[in-house]
This record gives sequence, C-alpha cells and structure tokens, in this order.
Amino acid sequence: MRPLTEEETQAVFKKLAEYTGASLKNIIAPQEDGDRNVFRLSQNRVYLVRLSMANLATSIARDNLLSLGTCLGKFTKSGKFRIHITALPILAEHARHKLWIRPNGVMPFLYGGNIVKAHVGRYSEDCPEHQGLVVYTMDDVPLGFGVSARSTAESRRLDPTGVMCFRQADCGEYLRDEDTLFQSG
Amino acid sequence: MAPSKTRTVKNKHAGSKSGAGAPGKGGASKRSSTDGVSKSKKPKGPVVSQQVKEKNRALLMKRPKKKTYTAEELGIPTLNMITPVGVEKPKGKKKGKVFVDDKESMTTILSLVQAEKEGHIESKIMKARQMEEIREARRLEAEKKSAEKKAKFEDTKESLRKKRKRKNDSEGGDNLKSISQTGSKAVKGSKKKVSFA
Repeated sequence: MRPLTEEETQAVFKKLAEYTGASLKNIIAPQEDGDRNVFRLSQNRVYLVRLSMANLATSIARDNLLSLGTCLGKFTKSGKFRIHITALPILAEHARHKLWIRPNGVMPFLYGGNIVKAHVGRYSEDCPEHQGLVVYTMDDVPLGFGVSARSTAESRRLDPTGVMCFRQADCGEYLRDEDTLFQSG
Repeated sequence: MAPSKTRTVKNKHAGSKSGAGAPGKGGASKRSSTDGVSKSKKPKGPVVSQQVKEKNRALLMKRPKKKTYTAEELGIPTLNMITPVGVEKPKGKKKGKVFVDDKESMTTILSLVQAEKEGHIESKIMKARQMEEIREARRLEAEKKSAEKKAKFEDTKESLRKKRKRKNDSEGGDNLKSISQTGSKAVKGSKKKVSFA
C-alpha cells in the first residue's frame, strides 16, 4: 500500500472529473474531526480512505491487506485508470450530469444494457456528447454510470429505440463480476 | 533364416580374425583401451596441461586486443546521440517514485484537472450549440424552399383548373345552342363528369 504519484493522482482525478462537478474537491477536503481522505494504491487498486485508517493499515502486510476504505477503481497495465462500480456512492454524491430511468428500464440497465430513449424518465439539460452521466431510478437511487451517446438537443429528436447512454458500470456487476471485482489474495 | 544364425555362432574365431583384418568396431576399441592406457597416461598428462596453459596464454594475449571505444573517441556528433530514459540518472534527484500525499499538492492537481475538464466541456457545449444553430438555419431554409415549391405547384394546378373550366364553359355554350336547336335535354343528361378536388 502506498500513496499515488503525481501522474497517478492526475489520472484518477481526470476520470472522476468526467462524472463529477466542482464539488469533487470536497472529497479531499479536511473533515470536522480533523481527519481527511487520501488515496492509497494497493495491488493496482486505488482506494479512497481516511488518513487515520490508512495509517493503521500500514501494520498489515501487503499480501494480507485485501481492501480498505472505498475502492475507486484500478490502474490497467498501460497506466490508464478504470473506474469501478464501487465508486458509485462518491460519483452519485457529486454528479454533474444525471439521467433518471423509468421502472421499465431499470432491469435492462442492471443486466448490462445501454439506455434507450424509451426508458429515460428525465435527464440533465445542457449535457454534451460523450460526457459522463450518473444513472438513477425515478426515486433517486443511483444504479450506475455511463457516457452520453448524444447531446441533450440531439437526443430530443431521437426515436424511442435510439441509444441515449452507453453503460460504463452498473450495480449488476456486484453479482456478475463477483469474482474479479474484489481481489482474492 | 536359421542357417545364417548358425553360421555366425560357429565362426567365432574366424569372425574375430576377420574383425581384426577388416575395420570392426569391437576388436579395435578393446585393443586400444587395454594396450595403450598404462603406458601412455604418464606422458600424456603434462602435455594436456601444457596445452591448457598455451590456450590460456593465447586467451590472455587476445583479451587486451579488444578495445572498447567511447563516444568521444569515435567522434560521433553529439546531436545524433540518444540517451535512453532508464540510463539517464540525475545525481541530485531522489531515487524512486515521488508520492503526492499532502493536501495542498492534491488540491493543486485537482484544480488543474478540473479547469481543463471545464474548458473541454465548455467547448463541447459551445460547439454543440453552434451546430444546433446551423442545423436550425438549414431546417428553416429547407422549410422555406419546400413551401415555395408547394405554392408554385398549387399555382400551376389552379391555372390548369381555370383552363379546363374555360374549355368546359365553351363546350356548355355549344350544348345550349344544340338544345335550343333540337328542343330537348336528353343528350346533356346522359353525359357524366368526374372532377378532382
């Protein structure tokens, strides 16, 4: 377990900033009790963890440490950062663009499908093309995140079967990718 | 098959003789091993060591001949040289990775990234708006053109209708004349007409 380098920090922030707005700075801001959140890298996975907890975790051997804090994603072999569904609570809290899906579109999304216009209840205005979106149910329960297929203006003219959002991650991954989502030794 | 086997068994001595005469494997090797070992061992030992020493000497002689030339000696122009990333080691710099863990530097990186992202998004939105304006203008132009086309078509239709009416009127005048001449309307009643719109 180690802190991130400058390049790694930049890669993580860049990916998070795709989905979040200016309030992202709050995740590293000092908290009321004087503690703050830090990034830690353990076996290619990046965790957002309280500094006090990260300090305590140094007493655990590298191989024995399975996970700590919130897993944001992992670094690929080529050095890119891939965000995981486990980062959804943080993204949902600070989301810039949102998309709400109707009850009939929830299951298709949770099974790993893209979102078609017929399933969209409402969506954020002024969303450009290929911009990160956080997907919610109509009851504001975050389900996952994706990338907008078209801008808001274009998607108005779209037919009901046209794709509005390309899925990046959904809560169904907790079941589908159970083996690979968390490390097992 | 059988006679050939018996022949080989019977001619044991003959075979050995023939083996000695001809270049046979077994006989020749045995003799050389039994006869020459004890006599030839002593003189051969020092010869081998001498040979090794000679070889070593030769190697020792050869080694200093290989001369490695440095870049300066060869006179390669400095601009052509490429120093690989891994090879270059700055002296004063810290070895290994430089971690970013303090709040200030993290905030700086975050603000830089966010400014960059904001710029990207803004440009994307601006671009989308411009494209939308262009599309709207094109749509209006197309609508205008189609309306003009339709109006023109309507005009031509109207003009054709008027022409036809005039013809009919002239035909109607003839009928009246004929009716007045014949004194009956029987002919007009039988004629059917179909008109559109």
